[in-house]
Amino acid sequence: MTLSLRALKPRIRLGSITVWVVLLLLIVIPVGGFLLVAVSPRLFNLGPQWFTLSTIRETFTGYTRKGIVDSLFVATLASLIAVTVATTMAWLVQRTNIWGRRFWSGAMWLLLLVPTWMTTLGWIDVIQPGELGTALGIHALFLYHHFFGPDGIVFVLSTAAMPFSYFVISVAMRGLGSEFEDAARVHGASRWRTIRTVLPIIAPALLSAFAISFAESMSDFGVAFTLGSAAHFPIATYVLFNAIYSFPANFQVAAVIAAVLILSTIPPVYLQSRVMRGRSFAVLSGRSKGVRRHQFSTKMRILVTAGVAVVMFIVLGLPLLGAVASSFTNTASLVTPTGIHWTLAAYRQVFSTPPSFTPLGPPLVTSNELGLITASITAVLALVLAKRLASRTSGVAQRIMDSFLLGSVAVPGIVLGIGYIFFYDQRFITQHVIDLYETMPLLIMGLVASATPGQARLLTGPVAQLQSTMSEAARVHGASKFRTWRTTTMPLLSRAVVWAWLLTFTKTISELAIAQILYQPGHEPVSVDIETYLGTIFATIGSAATVLTLVEMLGVIVLVLGLYRLVTPRGWRRLGDARNA
Amino acid sequence: MTPSAISITNVTKSFGEKFALRDVSLELAAGTFNVLLGPSGSGKTTLLRCLAGIERPTSGTIAIGDQVVCSDQVLVGPEKRHLSMVFQDYALWPHLTVRHNVGYPLASSKWSKAQRSARVDDLLERVGIAHLADRYPNELSGGEQQRVALARALSADVGLILFDEPLSNLDADRREQLRIEIATLTRESGATAVYITHDQAEAFALADRVGVLRGGQLVQFGTPEQIYQRPADAFVAHFTGVSGEFDVEDFERRSDGLATLTLPFAPEHPIVACVPQPIDEGARASLFVRASAVRISDDCVERGLHGTVLDAAFTGRGYEHVVELAPRATLTKVFSETRYERGAAVALQLDPRSCFLMSLENERK
Repeated sequence: MTLSLRALKPRIRLGSITVWVVLLLLIVIPVGGFLLVAVSPRLFNLGPQWFTLSTIRETFTGYTRKGIVDSLFVATLASLIAVTVATTMAWLVQRTNIWGRRFWSGAMWLLLLVPTWMTTLGWIDVIQPGELGTALGIHALFLYHHFFGPDGIVFVLSTAAMPFSYFVISVAMRGLGSEFEDAARVHGASRWRTIRTVLPIIAPALLSAFAISFAESMSDFGVAFTLGSAAHFPIATYVLFNAIYSFPANFQVAAVIAAVLILSTIPPVYLQSRVMRGRSFAVLSGRSKGVRRHQFSTKMRILVTAGVAVVMFIVLGLPLLGAVASSFTNTASLVTPTGIHWTLAAYRQVFSTPPSFTPLGPPLVTSNELGLITASITAVLALVLAKRLASRTSGVAQRIMDSFLLGSVAVPGIVLGIGYIFFYDQRFITQHVIDLYETMPLLIMGLVASATPGQARLLTGPVAQLQSTMSEAARVHGASKFRTWRTTTMPLLSRAVVWAWLLTFTKTISELAIAQILYQPGHEPVSVDIETYLGTIFATIGSAATVLTLVEMLGVIVLVLGLYRLVTPRGWRRLGDARNA
Repeated sequence: MTPSAISITNVTKSFGEKFALRDVSLELAAGTFNVLLGPSGSGKTTLLRCLAGIERPTSGTIAIGDQVVCSDQVLVGPEKRHLSMVFQDYALWPHLTVRHNVGYPLASSKWSKAQRSARVDDLLERVGIAHLADRYPNELSGGEQQRVALARALSADVGLILFDEPLSNLDADRREQLRIEIATLTRESGATAVYITHDQAEAFALADRVGVLRGGQLVQFGTPEQIYQRPADAFVAHFTGVSGEFDVEDFERRSDGLATLTLPFAPEHPIVACVPQPIDEGARASLFVRASAVRISDDCVERGLHGTVLDAAFTGRGYEHVVELAPRATLTKVFSETRYERGAAVALQLDPRSCFLMSLENERK
């Protein structure tokens, strides 16, 4: 019988209350307030009715209905593709001897931190006639037409969701002892049947990956904004954006769409909880053996590694190359009638901008400050939530929190931003509680609210892998709660937390929607600054700023990981390491 | 550290509507080795976790030494109970080396670094893994990991050591070896030990006192000899190892405290048995036969039960036989230094001192 130490104080619910108060202020009340507009426009002086359902009926007709259906379709398809590819990649990297395993994991991280709007623009820089594809002698006009349609949207969303799935599944594969594979093999299972036997053991991780991929795809705005409109294939977030930024703004319809986005994530959560009933992620304990890698023959090793390289080049290398190539020119397209003209002009102009543009320096500093604060707060909050989500006592509260957090991932940044303006600009708040409108704390709160649900779910896997006896052993051997946490829990989770911190940090820097709505005037974050260049004749300066920002983010990652390596004992870093057999 | 006496009074623990422990009371003398024996779901793990402070009883009082560690008003955290524990899954911290795992409980002691280091070295030496000090847990075998867990439990010099089925994940050979090490090292430490297992042989081999649990209740507590020779009820008799168990057709109490009974399949062979607990005339009863009670011979003219050998297993020092007395009535573990072949007709003599007539009237379902 294993119950956590929390069972010691069943009567104390202070922790739960604090968590829910924080979540209420960060997400529930601002977003809930905005959603209420759908049925009660009078509440925020947006219409005469205190209660009406007419907006809901209006939303489920014509253009908006199509946007919602399209979104559900592409998110499902993209998630399935992402989970399939990510599972294969995770197995190859974690459990086989392919070459460059660290490199491919690093590439996945890079893919994770590149925002979808950047990926999409990178792809346009590759396949648009006159761009990199043309320069390389590839005139694939049919690809270009396919890209501006559902195919392109599904493709980019799949590549964006792939790393989320990859990391969730990788953690499960690292923790899964090789005895299950051995058992299947010795009982006569072929290699393929062995895989089919072992995969269900990590079914909770697979479903978790699907759920988070689906939610991420549903809430993505970058692809919707850059591809959806041009492709005449409206998806929900773009329809939502249109509803708010058209004149007059239709907040009621936007609120209904936001509600649909949140509600659409309930089926995957339900599916996940059904499959996980009676199962546990708990596979990391003091008895766990290091996993053994499948050894490919040299020929297969070459083939499989080449296959992985091709996949990663397509999903990451090409769009990055497109963006980089674009930043080194100063012309409308890469290939001009007089050839390709490489220049560093855009990089020079980044720091001495044309009139009415802001040099890159101050926004980059602001973004780094935002990233530092947001990532630190989010890491703590997400860890607390992950611990609750991973709790073996699967009560109603846990299920509500699980559904709530996944639903929150599906809340587009733009909805959170507008929700914040709605709530924190209400007269009773600004005059009687606190006036946060157009301040840095409000932006940080929005960014934390946006990042926390996803990070909490990502951390749930590693947290759930910890056997409760790890901390129980510390307590019965004289360690206080704090020492138990410091000497056992923290080391075992440190790697996951560091990566969660890095992910939030980089995502904060590249975040656009919330930053655009909530930034403090005069303190633009770098994403807002870059956005001012796009669509202007100075677009190449924007590309150069994007490339520099990416490089800076990578620099921070290298620095943090280097520091982690320097300051932590060897035992902290070797957890889950696979051994070559 | 002075060994701790343990006092458990009316402890009940429920999980929702399910009771894991019901009104358990138990006094454990300081410095004794106590084994809690019971099948899965009997509540022994829950009782151990309540003692450790990992679970809080729903009601009742637990005192360790002079200190009440758990009652309706008091709950002392596990770290303040001055105990240590060997976990079933070992619970070694995978990010710490063997040396650091073993030294972990010493960090909160007042010993100097040199003293702590010497203590760890000494313990590693005593459990035979000094050469593995700088390894990590996943680089060790199951037996080695368990030795680390044992050394860790011994390192803090506490008054109470808890063992949660520590040998259940080991193979028979290692189990035997480690059982001896646990018994020796724990007794050397002087601490009071509470050890849980479902294996009666392990319990009897280790214990000064054995407590038998069933369905969350303590059925009997006593020395291994008391448990074995005077089981409190049919469950204890059965769980502590019998060679055979037979419904009794008829019985009669004798003036010497024994009883004469007949079995339905051998009415012509009356059997004499102990009556360890009071039994009403005419009550439904069973005969429980310990393996040590049975003497086998091929002299079929001898008085006694007759049967046919179904199986013979070589055990090194002799043979253990399975003998069929009648359809669905067999005796197992019937020992003899000579082998009786399968199908051989044999006679069986039963020693009354290891045969128990037990009432089934109060047997809990």
